Amino acid sequence: MHEQSKEFELTAEEAAALDEIAGALGRFGQERGNLIPILQMVQERLSYLPPRAIELVASHLGMAPCEVYGVATFYNQFRFHPPGRYRIKVCLGTACHVKGGDIILENFERKLGIRDGETTPDREFSIERVACVGCCALAPVTVINETVHGHTAPSKVEGLLLGFQIERERKEREDKKHADGESQDH
Amino acid sequence: MATIYIDDKAVEATPGDSLLSVCLKNGIYVPHLCYLEELKETPASCRLCFVEVEGEPAPVTACTTMVREDLRVRTDTPEVRRLQRAALRLLLSVHRVDCGRCPANKHCDLQRIAALLGTGLKPKNLALLLREPQVVRVHPLFDYYPNRCVLCGRCVRLCRERHAMPLLTFADRGFSTTVTFYGQGNSEEIPCADCRACVKACPVAALWPRDSDAPVPGGEEEPSPNTAGSDPAEAGP
Amino acid sequence: MPTGNPKTIDQAFKDLREEARTRWEELRQTPGPKFRLGLATCGIASGALNTKVALEETLAERGIMAQIRTVGCMGHCYAEPLLVVENPGFPPLLYHQVSPGKAKMIVRSFLEGGDPLFEHVLGAMEENDMIPWIMDFPRFSNEVRVITALCGVVDPEEISDYIALGGYAALARALESEPEDLIRAVEEAGLRGRGGAGFPTGKKWRLCAQAAGKRKVVICNADEGDPGAYMDRTLLESNPHQVLEGMAICARAVGARRGIVYVRAEYPLAVRLITTAVQQAEKLGLLGESILGGDFSFHVQVFRGSGAFVCGEETALLRSIEGKRGMPRHRPPFPVQEGLEGLPTVINNVKTLASVPPIVEKGPKWFRGVGTPRSPGTAVFSVVGDVVHPGLVEIPMGTTLRSLIFDVCGGIPRRKSFKAVQIGGPSGGCLPEDFLDTPIDFDSLVEAGAMMGSGGMVVMDEDACMVDVARYFLDFTQKESCGKCTFCRIGTRQILEILERMTRGEGREEDLGLLETLADVVRRGSLCGLGKTAPNPVLTSLRYFREEYEAHVREKRCPSGTCRALTAFYIDLDLCARGCDACVGCCPVEAIFTTLNRKKGIDQTLCVKCGECVAACPEEYNAVKKVSPPHLAPIVERPPVQET
Repeated sequence: MHEQSKEFELTAEEAAALDEIAGALGRFGQERGNLIPILQMVQERLSYLPPRAIELVASHLGMAPCEVYGVATFYNQFRFHPPGRYRIKVCLGTACHVKGGDIILENFERKLGIRDGETTPDREFSIERVACVGCCALAPVTVINETVHGHTAPSKVEGLLLGFQIERERKEREDKKHADGESQDH
Repeated sequence: MATIYIDDKAVEATPGDSLLSVCLKNGIYVPHLCYLEELKETPASCRLCFVEVEGEPAPVTACTTMVREDLRVRTDTPEVRRLQRAALRLLLSVHRVDCGRCPANKHCDLQRIAALLGTGLKPKNLALLLREPQVVRVHPLFDYYPNRCVLCGRCVRLCRERHAMPLLTFADRGFSTTVTFYGQGNSEEIPCADCRACVKACPVAALWPRDSDAPVPGGEEEPSPNTAGSDPAEAGP
Repeated sequence: MPTGNPKTIDQAFKDLREEARTRWEELRQTPGPKFRLGLATCGIASGALNTKVALEETLAERGIMAQIRTVGCMGHCYAEPLLVVENPGFPPLLYHQVSPGKAKMIVRSFLEGGDPLFEHVLGAMEENDMIPWIMDFPRFSNEVRVITALCGVVDPEEISDYIALGGYAALARALESEPEDLIRAVEEAGLRGRGGAGFPTGKKWRLCAQAAGKRKVVICNADEGDPGAYMDRTLLESNPHQVLEGMAICARAVGARRGIVYVRAEYPLAVRLITTAVQQAEKLGLLGESILGGDFSFHVQVFRGSGAFVCGEETALLRSIEGKRGMPRHRPPFPVQEGLEGLPTVINNVKTLASVPPIVEKGPKWFRGVGTPRSPGTAVFSVVGDVVHPGLVEIPMGTTLRSLIFDVCGGIPRRKSFKAVQIGGPSGGCLPEDFLDTPIDFDSLVEAGAMMGSGGMVVMDEDACMVDVARYFLDFTQKESCGKCTFCRIGTRQILEILERMTRGEGREEDLGLLETLADVVRRGSLCGLGKTAPNPVLTSLRYFREEYEAHVREKRCPSGTCRALTAFYIDLDLCARGCDACVGCCPVEAIFTTLNRKKGIDQTLCVKCGECVAACPEEYNAVKKVSPPHLAPIVERPPVQET
């Protein structure tokens, strides 16, 4: 149950995004038919729906916050926890299931030490199981952020995660170099 | 007016009215949970008010059947009873049977339906699937008991009918569907103390005014003498 | 506004078409080599974007002027990324699995060296004396393309491609026809809804046209939720205009001014392409206010479905557009009487609407010439699972399952045998070998216990476990149940409990009967189509594969070795090669150890049964074996850790 879960603190970026959302709401009419498009817009900017965003949306549409919450929790798309920076979505459509998609899911869970629906404490990775993403001929499929990875064998899981780690370390190095470079300029 | 026949008894009814309403007004009890006379729209979700209508290949729900001239209805055929028993057992498979400590005891619709269908209150060979927690304390005045709730939605529909800003709603989906008072914190700002429509309409006491002295259901405590088996009318709102 | 005599609709359209044809001819006449690359989701997932970059870079590097057009999906998912190369002096050639490296090679060897690299060619796109024509292969020649005719040919982001190849002519004609004639044409064509149940489309349109009220709505249902089905997505990504044209014709027929394309948010590319298509059509006056200068207006918006399978059900879909929880309601009233916001509403599937322009253009008689008398036209299937050539296939109705699976899709790979085909997704059923000669049409499939569904087909070989497949589908419907009615909400969950118990080896003798009883009451008692059809996967598999259920319950054995709790892997020490370490490195949980004689053993307490070691064991040893029930696996002790 979502309401029992602990509320995540908003980061500074998220708080700023929330202000922007308040402005963006003006582009939408106040008819109830706009509810789902609005929630989609909010989630695109915040990547989840924190309670404050739900209140904002409710007041824009003149609805009770609980009604907005009731609608949002009906749909798979909406999240109530912040996802990881790398969102791992393991497809468990029929074709992926037949080709061992659940084994792929387990591998991610094991490697990251979290269960599906959870986010690693450093907010780097989150794992979700998703219904068919429609790339059945490439089964089993994993979607990480917006990239589709086809034919993901269990042994490929480690490679994928390692790739992200290397990418992250390289970025950190570059940021550091960049920062060092700047400090030298001054 | 139209004449219809319910279990061979001729009944006068207004065309367009719901058959379930006509049955109930004429003293013919058809099991039901989600239907409410005072609300026009019926969700037809509890799937209990099945009847057989002449000309229909399979039982239909009485709440969605409209009165028309010469409608011939049977309320107690074996097929109707089979479906009703199946629905009741499914509801009981997610129900914590603890009547002794439940304020709805003796006024509970599940008890009434079980008595009519002769099923008892056990889900038979279905697995008992209960939820955690036993009681949800989010609303300042009312508690919600998920393992009593039959999700008939009377509370949700009544609240929507009475208040421009409803205070409770369904949340989540499928087997996890629940009734929630999301976002209600302050008892001063909400009309609930005076309304109580949701509590009064609940057929199974899944919504009940908080009584901090009452034992938490599912807790280890023995039933206290002043709540166990007592008349809910006295303890009621 | 221009004054004087306004152009007639006919003239306005002819002008548009002339312009589009001129542009198309210019494209065709451009000298030099031409490339056509498939860039639908399947292609992109197979790396087609990298291929495109490599192609562009290599061409630039070599100073070759060439035309690269991006198109949608050609349906051959097994061969993605697909590239058509037109090199002057050769027929256009279709290349398969074009990796960036292969793209470079094609540029160097074929464009520069004149060697077409036959080993990478799937076939020629035209008949010629040099290279086999694709139509000589059954994967191509058995198809009849009505709905997907222009998929992979037109650029989905370029409306003018579609117009040049005959698009929107049917709409221009419809605008000058009486609505009644349009409805009659669809009725006479015998078009049935491609969303699953096969309701006559013409009848639906007529009911909506006759419904009271001036404001009406047309909705294109692209909430394709069946796991294993992606026909609708592909169509929107490859030729969105044919769908829009069908919608506009429908709107003209029923008198609607408002249209909505309801497409899953999980299909971002389809969302983007259909949105672009709407904008382009509006810009050319083919949608929007006073279409082609006439008095008919039709405004289309794109609505993104938020991920609820049940929203494929009409009444639930409407509620979600209205900003509510997508819970179905009792019918009647039907949406054609009281639909979106109470207005009469036609809801048609993507493929149904895409069938409309060809019917208007070529006539009902032509349409009836394809398919069977009761199910005219074609069926689009996504055939996936254990087939050699998975992908999207459009075949005439009446084709047998055998022909589709074995002739068109190449049969079962790895010399395994066919076991079952799942048709119709969570609402359908699994049919065994005895049903392979069933013709594919709405009625025959229902008779066999499956249903057409929206066109997802999963083929399973001997390694599939039917109990597990039933469990998979019930897990799906149970999760996707809206939770409104008792039978679907709790009944599907109780069915799942039993199936899970069976796959864990905890099934009881009475479970088989209980399963049948529950499946029956859920089917009869549920409120909407989702619940009513949810037990189908269980009922069909119980009917056709009962012995598998019995093996699970009575012997705690999974005959196909799928259910992990009922199987074990072991290493046959007679086959294992001394000193070989192939399996050790691939085990994700370090369950494989070395025995005292330097062979390998599996620690059953650690093994997660992922099967990686089976794949890793070199073919010449083939030493990893799977058994069910698990106690049949010989016990190999892990040697004590040696102090060094």
